[in-house]
Amino acid sequence: MAISVDTPEISQDLSKKAGYSFTILSDPNAEVIRRYDLLHARGGPDGHDIARPAEFLVDSSKVVRWVNFTEDIRVRAKADEMLAAAKRLP
Amino acid sequence: MKDMVERRSNSTLLWGFALALGAMLCNMAFFIQPPAQGSIPWLSLLLAVIALVFVGKGLWRIFAPPRIHRGRILGTILTIFSLLLVAAAVFTFFKSRSLPISAGAPQVGQKAPDFTLADTTGRPISLDQLFRPTDGTPPKAVLLIFYRGYW
Repeated sequence: MAISVDTPEISQDLSKKAGYSFTILSDPNAEVIRRYDLLHARGGPDGHDIARPAEFLVDSSKVVRWVNFTEDIRVRAKADEMLAAAKRLP
Repeated sequence: MKDMVERRSNSTLLWGFALALGAMLCNMAFFIQPPAQGSIPWLSLLLAVIALVFVGKGLWRIFAPPRIHRGRILGTILTIFSLLLVAAAVFTFFKSRSLPISAGAPQVGQKAPDFTLADTTGRPISLDQLFRPTDGTPPKAVLLIFYRGYW
């Protein structure tokens, strides 16, 4: 599941082009992004408030089991790390 | 006879420019996958620093006596472009790393805050809904990916 400040239309475009099957949610006013303290104020073009990249693995009791905060926007989360974290869950 | 002395070409400045260009081109290597991707920012910074050394040495060769190297005008132009590229690479390095601290973000062992947001079709989806069974069995976990977006 992915969240950004993009509108549903832009996310749908991305989802179709990339062939994603997971849920993509829109947080245009960055309410949830703020709730998670992930707001990158004026981080986007034209001084747009956007989300900083971050990943959370949440179990079925809604407890965070693994997190990743990149130090550099050019460096993304490692897919095998995320899969390994998911496999470690009981 | 002294005027007949042919001045040597100055490849050091060209190397400096190539390295500065390389430092900026590094940032376009989106196709490189993790974990190698993690070294791209540092490679870019390293190339920028080496480029500076080459440009400095190249300039010295042109302007310091005895002036055995030619290309004062071309050398100056190359230097300006090289320095702009180096400045852009260093700026990109620090800009890409100027991320918020996010000290209040949920940590391992903490509860993930609830939310309800619209999906790509405009339908509201809550965190609880993401744990509902899609094909019989409920998911063990959900991965929340916050990303910068494409605007």
